[in-house]
Amino acid sequence: MTRIPDVEGSDLVPRDPDVLSIGDRAAAEAATRKLAEGYEDRAWGCMSSRHKFCREPCPVYQVTRNEQHTSYGFHATVAAMSQGLVDLEDAYEQYAYCTQCGACELRCPNTLFTGDFYRNRTQLVQLVKAVRAAGVEAGIERGSWKRWNDDTVTFRNEMQGDPAQVAGWADDLDLPRGGETILFCDCMAAYRQTKVPRAVSMLLREAGVEVGLMNDQWCCGGPALEMGYTDIYEQFARHNLEDWRAAGAKRVVTLDPHDYITFVEDYPRLFGDYGIEVLHITDLLAELIEQGKLRLERPIPVSVTYHDPCRLNKRRGIWESPRKILRAIPGLDFRDVDHVTQWAMCSGAGGGLPVALPDVAEKVARNRLDAAAPIGADVLASACVWAEDHLERVAAADGQMPVVDITVLAAMSAGLLEAEPWLAEVGRNREGAP
Amino acid sequence: MTMTYEGVNRQAVAELVDVLGAERVVVTPQGRLIRAMVPAPFPFHRWADEAPEIAVLPETTDEVVAIVKLANRLRIPIVPRAGATGLNDGAKPNRGGIVVDTKRMNKVLEIDTTDWTVTIQPSINMLKLNERLAPYGVWYPDDPASYPVSIVSGRIGTGGWSLLGSRYGHVRDNVISMEVVLPTGEVLEVGQGGGRKIRHSSTGYRLKDLFLGHQGTLGIATQATLELYPRPEAEFPAFFGYESFDAGYRAMQPFCRSNLATLAGVILFDERKVQYLRRDDEAYIPEPESLQSIVAVAAYGSEGEVAAARDRLMRIGAETGGRYLGEELSELDWASRHDRYATPLHGRSRDRAVHMSWHCEDAAITYSQLPFVKQRWHEIADRYIAEHEVFDNWGMFFYTNNAYKGWGDFLVEIDIGIWEQRLDEDSWRAWTNLKREITQVSLDAGGSISACHGATREGEVELVPAELGGQFDLMLKLKRMLDPNNIMNPGKYLLDQAYEDGEG
Ligand SMILES: Cc1cc2nc3c(=O)[nH]c(=O)nc-3n(C[C@H](O)[C@H](O)[C@H](O)COP(=O)(O)OP(=O)(O)OC[C@H]3O[C@@H](n4cnc5c(N)ncnc54)[C@H](O)[C@@H]3O)c2cc1C
Repeated sequence: MTRIPDVEGSDLVPRDPDVLSIGDRAAAEAATRKLAEGYEDRAWGCMSSRHKFCREPCPVYQVTRNEQHTSYGFHATVAAMSQGLVDLEDAYEQYAYCTQCGACELRCPNTLFTGDFYRNRTQLVQLVKAVRAAGVEAGIERGSWKRWNDDTVTFRNEMQGDPAQVAGWADDLDLPRGGETILFCDCMAAYRQTKVPRAVSMLLREAGVEVGLMNDQWCCGGPALEMGYTDIYEQFARHNLEDWRAAGAKRVVTLDPHDYITFVEDYPRLFGDYGIEVLHITDLLAELIEQGKLRLERPIPVSVTYHDPCRLNKRRGIWESPRKILRAIPGLDFRDVDHVTQWAMCSGAGGGLPVALPDVAEKVARNRLDAAAPIGADVLASACVWAEDHLERVAAADGQMPVVDITVLAAMSAGLLEAEPWLAEVGRNREGAP
Repeated sequence: MTMTYEGVNRQAVAELVDVLGAERVVVTPQGRLIRAMVPAPFPFHRWADEAPEIAVLPETTDEVVAIVKLANRLRIPIVPRAGATGLNDGAKPNRGGIVVDTKRMNKVLEIDTTDWTVTIQPSINMLKLNERLAPYGVWYPDDPASYPVSIVSGRIGTGGWSLLGSRYGHVRDNVISMEVVLPTGEVLEVGQGGGRKIRHSSTGYRLKDLFLGHQGTLGIATQATLELYPRPEAEFPAFFGYESFDAGYRAMQPFCRSNLATLAGVILFDERKVQYLRRDDEAYIPEPESLQSIVAVAAYGSEGEVAAARDRLMRIGAETGGRYLGEELSELDWASRHDRYATPLHGRSRDRAVHMSWHCEDAAITYSQLPFVKQRWHEIADRYIAEHEVFDNWGMFFYTNNAYKGWGDFLVEIDIGIWEQRLDEDSWRAWTNLKREITQVSLDAGGSISACHGATREGEVELVPAELGGQFDLMLKLKRMLDPNNIMNPGKYLLDQAYEDGEG
């Protein structure tokens, strides 16, 4: 079969100018074939059902309401590629409409009813990464992603921050370099949301957990991989692993779910079992609280609702620990929205969406904040600096509730951080506000 | 008059871009190809021929009017598409043209807590609508197995059936009134008589029904006012096992006639369905071979009524020789009723697990004829399976089919697995022949071809005039009157015949 012919006048609908094609036809065709061969079977797993139960929970679909931007649309397009009806140059563009949150994978009847028996779990995130990587390989890419990745290579972090200052947030904290437990700080946290790594370091010290910093932390590489830049990812991953090994690390504590998932899902694909335990800070803190090693005693008299970071909740099943932490804070009125309801929610900050499609990413955030508003909480807490940064900006523009990392709340409750101005603001009329 | 279609041309694209903006006009190959099909079996071996030329994503009634007027003027076919979950091929374009993908029309316009109605742009999904209604203590009870994914306008387009229909009615009963853009671009308010919120009226003709289940051949619904109900305080599902189909079939009757107003539905599983489930569904694997048929019942309503219904239903189960399959199976199976029963990998081609799609036959048949239909359908299906590796028989369900009662005719479903990846022209022909033979049995039994999905496909549509008799001729007249240029979903229901008389 051959690619279906364009309709007369289709040139009146411009293509997304962000998509650049610098490869040649032969490269694009080869990449299309390779992709189709690798993923055809999975595509048919979805296509054979095409019941689309995954659709309404998809945070991006909720914004665009375009069937192309769903697991069904993505799989069906691969099936069309496998029949030669579509090539990568056509299809590449739509695969930006995904935050890789994993909601569709969970809500797929194939996952639910044949995930175990047949090992037939739907794996949309892998598919999206593969299409993006095939694009880059064939010289088809997004200008926005390319610039972003070029900058990340230049600065070794995603924030265009001075590489020499990657541990600048810790200058006055007197943290050692190296050691058995390494704190991986994340780029966003290192340069912008610095209060989070500060809170984490103080909490761990308070609980008697000794952590050290990397000798030279580079970006985890996950975002590059999510956007299809496999080589860049591998370069970062190799550097970080070498740094950990040189430091004698036995475990790495992450404070951001994006780093966490890169280390527990992607690094093992590259390195096999690399012999270092990786933890997310919420699991560790919940354990320290339970063991009585960390005491949260200062009341925080605000009402809080919690945003489940997708990579923790939907993709790794970590949703209990953050709730345990919030419930351990005295005086805090926790207004929970259960983690399954939150399958349909996302901050919009993942999978390169804010870089490629900032408007869509902003609308995803707005939907999340709108869902939180009727709960009547003072604050939206989360455990992902990228989600928080993104939500915070949209919330500020819309006059919505402040957003905070739960480690910051925990550090305030442990008496390690002073109450922040927003807390004084929301707590002004409450008795016992700090 | 012979209808000659113009393809979508430069002028049409330019006008559509003008009306909607380029970002809501889809011309990409993948954007068109993924809108070529719905879950109903699809001839993938000629996928490219089935694709629409263009798709558009309107947001307002005015935009729909502009699109329809343009199509009518330029003689371009239009096909409304809603959730695209149809098990009949209503939303599949038969003649290319413009797919009007309505999913962006999903606003809730008014929740009326005094007169208990909700007015919506109809392309909202029912689960999402109920999330919006929850704070008011009310709900919209349309509960097809596609509840988490199909959307109200598609429910209108098919005149669909609900699993809870015996208690809460079906789509026809719960859509009070609608705004419809007719094929010429006029906007019609249609209801029970006049007022948008009037449920029962004797003024004039009952025209609302004409716009429920027309499969997008008479217009595009752009607004709907729906019925609200108090949220159920309690629900009680119970599954009973029987040692033969006959025993289950006999037991069904007393459940259906139990005189319980809370009875939401009764479902009978035949022995082939039980066998199919026993293949690899964890709930059924441990069940003994003596389990050959199941009757599932559910009651919904106030606490007191459901408690009383529970006692009576358990008693009927015992009196009919049923074995209660336990709270866990009953509750969890009922809770997963939306996505449990049609999983691609549960299909077998000559004992090999392959990804199979699902055909769901949905005839309406009276109680007395159920055993006859069952026997004939299995004979037909098995004969085709013996010859073609692309088919599999997933057994049968029989459901209560009528609003607010458990008796009368039943929705009869045989589920056939189809290995679409292996289809070619020969096996596709075999499929439509299989379908036609099955459909003929429904008519032989004095039944109706479709209780909920519609009957527009090859293999069934040829028999629609035989089922409808004089009503079919009236359909042709109405179609031509409302759609003089045959632009609304042309090629469906043999309605082209309306234009074959040489005038025009
Ligand atoms: C797993 C599964 C379970 C199902 N269970 C049931 C069930 O229990 N009961 C049941 O009834 N069905 C069931 N179905 C079939 C399907 O969900 C229904 O037929 C549903 O009504 C289709 O709705 P949709 O939104 O997907 O519409 P689509 O498939 O998109 O369209 C259906 C028809 O409506 C027309 N249409 C779309 N929009 C409009 C509009 N705005 N105005 C006028 N016409 C329009 C289309 O042209 C088409 O002819 C099931 C399907 C699946 C996949």
